[in-house]
Amino acid sequence: MKKELKYVGTRAVRLDGLEKVTGAAKYVDDLEFGPGMLYVSVLESPYAHAMIKSIDTAEAEKMPGVKAVLSGKDFPEKFGLYLKDNSIFPADRVRYIGEQVAAVVAETPKQGEAAVKKIKVEYEPLPVIQDPREAIKPGAPLVHPDLGKYEVVPWLYPQPGTNIGHVRKIRKGDIEKAFEEASFILEDWYHVPHVVHAPIETHISVSLYSYDGRLTMWNSTQSPHTQRNIIANALKIPHKNVRVVAPYVGGGFGGKAGINMEVIAAVAAMKVPGHPVKLRWTRKQEFENSSQRQELYAHIKMGVNKEGKIIALKHQLYWDVGASAEYGSNVVNATGFSATGPYYIPNVYIDSFAIYTNRPPCGAYRGFGYSEFHFGIESHMDRIAKAIGMDPVEFRKKNAIKRGEPVAYGVEMNPTGIQECIDKVAEKIEWGKEDKSPDPNKIRAKGFASVWKAPAMPPNESSAAFIKFSEDGSINILVSGMELGQGFLTAMAKIAAEELQLPLEKIRVELPDTDRNPYEWQTVASHVTWSCGNAVMRAAIDARNEILKTVSRAYHIEKASLYLEDGKVKCFTDPDFELPFEKFVINGIEMPDGTFRGGPIMGHGMFMPEFTSAKVNPETGLGGHPNVHYTTGAGAVEIEIDKETGRIRVLKMAEAFDAGKAINPDLVEGQIIGGFVQGLGTALWEEVKFDKNGKILNPNFTDYKIPTALDVPRDMNPIIVEVPQPDGPFGARGIAEHTMIPVMPAVANAVENALGIRIKEVPITPEKILNALREKEQNKQ
Amino acid sequence: MNNFDYVKPATLDEAVSLYKRYGEKAKLLLGGTDLIVLMDAGAVAPDILIDLKGIEELKKLELDENFLHIGARVTFNELIDSPIIKEKFPLLWETSRTIASTGVRNKATLVGNICSAVPSADTAPALLVCDAIVVTAGESGGREIPITEFFTGPRRTVLKSGEIVKEVKISYGSKKFGGSYIKLGRYDGEDLAQAGVATLVSEDKDYKVAFCAVAAKPVRATEAENYLKGKELTDEVLEEAAKLAVKAISPISDIRASKEYRLYVSGVIFKRSLKTSLARMNGNGPAYGERLV
Amino acid sequence: MRREINFTLNGGSVKIDVMPNEKLLDVLRDRLGIKSPKHGCGRGECGACTVLLNGKSIRSCITLAIEVDGQEITTLEGIEKNNMTDLQKSFLSHNAFQCGFCASGMTMTATELLTKNPNPDEEEVREAIAGNLCRCTGYKNIVEAILDVSKEK
Repeated sequence: MKKELKYVGTRAVRLDGLEKVTGAAKYVDDLEFGPGMLYVSVLESPYAHAMIKSIDTAEAEKMPGVKAVLSGKDFPEKFGLYLKDNSIFPADRVRYIGEQVAAVVAETPKQGEAAVKKIKVEYEPLPVIQDPREAIKPGAPLVHPDLGKYEVVPWLYPQPGTNIGHVRKIRKGDIEKAFEEASFILEDWYHVPHVVHAPIETHISVSLYSYDGRLTMWNSTQSPHTQRNIIANALKIPHKNVRVVAPYVGGGFGGKAGINMEVIAAVAAMKVPGHPVKLRWTRKQEFENSSQRQELYAHIKMGVNKEGKIIALKHQLYWDVGASAEYGSNVVNATGFSATGPYYIPNVYIDSFAIYTNRPPCGAYRGFGYSEFHFGIESHMDRIAKAIGMDPVEFRKKNAIKRGEPVAYGVEMNPTGIQECIDKVAEKIEWGKEDKSPDPNKIRAKGFASVWKAPAMPPNESSAAFIKFSEDGSINILVSGMELGQGFLTAMAKIAAEELQLPLEKIRVELPDTDRNPYEWQTVASHVTWSCGNAVMRAAIDARNEILKTVSRAYHIEKASLYLEDGKVKCFTDPDFELPFEKFVINGIEMPDGTFRGGPIMGHGMFMPEFTSAKVNPETGLGGHPNVHYTTGAGAVEIEIDKETGRIRVLKMAEAFDAGKAINPDLVEGQIIGGFVQGLGTALWEEVKFDKNGKILNPNFTDYKIPTALDVPRDMNPIIVEVPQPDGPFGARGIAEHTMIPVMPAVANAVENALGIRIKEVPITPEKILNALREKEQNKQ
Repeated sequence: MNNFDYVKPATLDEAVSLYKRYGEKAKLLLGGTDLIVLMDAGAVAPDILIDLKGIEELKKLELDENFLHIGARVTFNELIDSPIIKEKFPLLWETSRTIASTGVRNKATLVGNICSAVPSADTAPALLVCDAIVVTAGESGGREIPITEFFTGPRRTVLKSGEIVKEVKISYGSKKFGGSYIKLGRYDGEDLAQAGVATLVSEDKDYKVAFCAVAAKPVRATEAENYLKGKELTDEVLEEAAKLAVKAISPISDIRASKEYRLYVSGVIFKRSLKTSLARMNGNGPAYGERLV
Repeated sequence: MRREINFTLNGGSVKIDVMPNEKLLDVLRDRLGIKSPKHGCGRGECGACTVLLNGKSIRSCITLAIEVDGQEITTLEGIEKNNMTDLQKSFLSHNAFQCGFCASGMTMTATELLTKNPNPDEEEVREAIAGNLCRCTGYKNIVEAILDVSKEK
């Protein structure tokens, strides 16, 4: 039995707090590289789809301050995380407006911008395709005519000759028979448009290629090792000679996962050895050429029986992944496995299509596709509950998946606190209690949603950690998980603190540097607390064993009699024995004869989930174990709608998530609130708007509205539920992305509860509300 | 941003002669919160910037016997922080608080806002219903332009080359009045108006109405004003007035809202504003600055 | 066109040659080593670049360096004399920030607010920081941290 936890689960000031409040925290753009720095400026495609007939860089090369000009002819390599469909610079074809066509390296940004204007590109425009429902049709213009030639991981299935980058199918049970047996069936479409991550820090890379063939990059990234791997492979540099250093990241949300513009900085640096080169996206470039969240058109057909149990689901998901599916194909894959929502459904039919269009490439975004499909599923849940005369919360509880029940791909569900999450949210939002606005123009109502999400990862993702002691008994933890603001450093410190019984102030956790810190796949999927946490826990146990071994050898005390407390080794059998770490963790323990025992204490640990497998039957999705586990939760809102203007304000929110064990309870609450507000943006305001040529109309905060301090509920209630994850560190599992997922459907459900109208397309704008009200009036007449 | 020269004259005369000399090649700089963004985007590329922030007399914010004078350098936060504005010109105070964010309002000026002359200019409805006067300086000595004649189209005004707006003045009477500005944006944070309306009601049943963001330029709704004159604001009167008010506007569809929504919602906020203004005059309305949408 | 300007930066005097088209943000960051104001949007809409001009918060990304000739600029580097301010301590104990990129701008805006209005209510705090975008936190802890400073006084 473990004794009571001393560090894990307690409240603490975050490890990076002091640096961040004093301005000492350095982000990539804050690093100094001296006067030799050069700047990269990028020429962007003005066409969403065109052949490149010729590129003439001669005049640009002669411009003042210009050191190099780069374009597609020099870089035939394709790259990508899962599907190598992305170009460093496209050689023959541009596929979206804003795509990098060429770049200039110059002494100043202004010189670079002037030179970029002198590059002459001759284009032959091609038909532009923007709607995935059109792009999937036979005969649609092809975005990637060479799709069949691209390298791809074995568990993705691009369809050459079409715009389909991947399709994930689930065929479980007998769907047709189940619909025949259903007592009520509801079928409908839902639409979720493209949105962007909008981190306040845009993408940035500083890269330095030295004459000895070494490439060092300082990137704002969630994925230092994955970037190293992609760069090394694409540019044919040995991995040991690529070094990615990752200072603090000014917001990631999935947008800085994998790689995108950094590859431009890398090749630019290789043209000017010895000079660091800087490439920093403007806000406009961040919209046009980093990555976006996929657009989704989803068709849902769900059937229930007389008892109110869901017995059949046919869910077809048409995802617009933009011009590249190198990362987004895995969003499509992951949601294909999970698009039931957190319910046990015996008969499931899912098609999840990754469809190429001439829109910017899409990729990971907090929630990894789950926000988008839950909008449909959770809207549907409310509508069905109402239609069969059941309370929507009751309907969810009745169908919520239980531990041991099979998920869509057949594997047993992990331990889950979903019932508790639903109950606690219902209680906090005072479900069922009506609330009247004092303003006669306004009406109040509540809406509910429950959700799940699994980390979407290759089966062999992994994490590693080193712990090293210093003379004063303090430790440095070396990991390559990234502090994105979620509290990763503090979580790792607490896990080590618990295992080593070392106070937090004696622990530092280092930001990633691929030269010095051990491997981490990526900081994505809300999995680092779990995966890297396991690695740190093992490293700490390893270090503890070294400590105990050393002390045992020196003092001839049995290891089993020794224990750690407050940075000291103590002994169960001898209360007077007390050896502080600083007495021996570097210099060892002196023996009576003047010799020493021990030496520098270190620990190492690694973690890979050895039970996962992506090997499934491509026609049924069954037979493998693609996901490690699901985190479940629920959320609810109380809204107030102005019936005359259609404007919505969210007055109150409550969300509960089953964190397994909250390593940092206050930071978990911070994730719940921050994720909720990011979700609120997508529910009410956020949408990337395109014109008919594929140009973004709102690549700025003037017209892409992310929530401000005035636009969020004043009453916010984060709730932590803890049903331990057996293979998590202290039972922990991830919750950070999940917190966004309930918001869109919860708001839509509240709108229906307020006004009797169903909005099936986010963002839920006042115009949509008024139009729906008008339609409702007309239908009455 | 292109290269340009920069001068910061100490007197208005000096500024006028510089502006005359450079003509279209010069731009006047006040807060710069609109101009610098335009210059950065390459939409405006002057050869020279004439920074008016060195001219002492443009800092004027004072009330004399008949008029409130707002100098060209007066920022929105100076208006908001001024007891004169808050107590005697609460409509202007309410309006100023709707502009951008505090970090922008510390530089942005009311005169800059009207000179940018965007259709959504937040200050325009309040100035229009107050019959404000734009006072300029120019080689021929300057002139006084009624605000109702000031705007001519999107980013266009009646200002001539070399003419500099020195101040805006607003007459101040002893009549009891109530006003309100309703700005409908996409959310409560910083935003441009999808539609905006100001109304001013006085004890002799005189009603003033003006809109922004729903026509090529900010407009007064005179037909509605004439109809309302002398009437009690019954529900029927309000409905009829709303119909006349929206006749004054000609909204377009853009990324911020559709034409149809703007037309419809202009009627809604018009009625709400008028009712609020009346209630405020009678001492039983919501406080100035309270959210009305 | 290059001009010499003189201004007070965090209590010290600065003399520097600038081109009229240089932004205050770029001069502070790239030429004077003041890294706390950040590039976020370039249009004055996110607040990450906020500094104080004569004690008032402004957007240094849409301010020309030449405009601050003869004026006084304060950045995060300048508000802490030897110790963190009460506001910074409150931000720290509330775990107010996550990624931290908005922290400097938020701190400058809140510093101005508390100077002008030492006892703001919640809506006044929200109104004041509404121009400082934070994508991580949902603002709750930031608002509570600012309110706590005023309570302590």
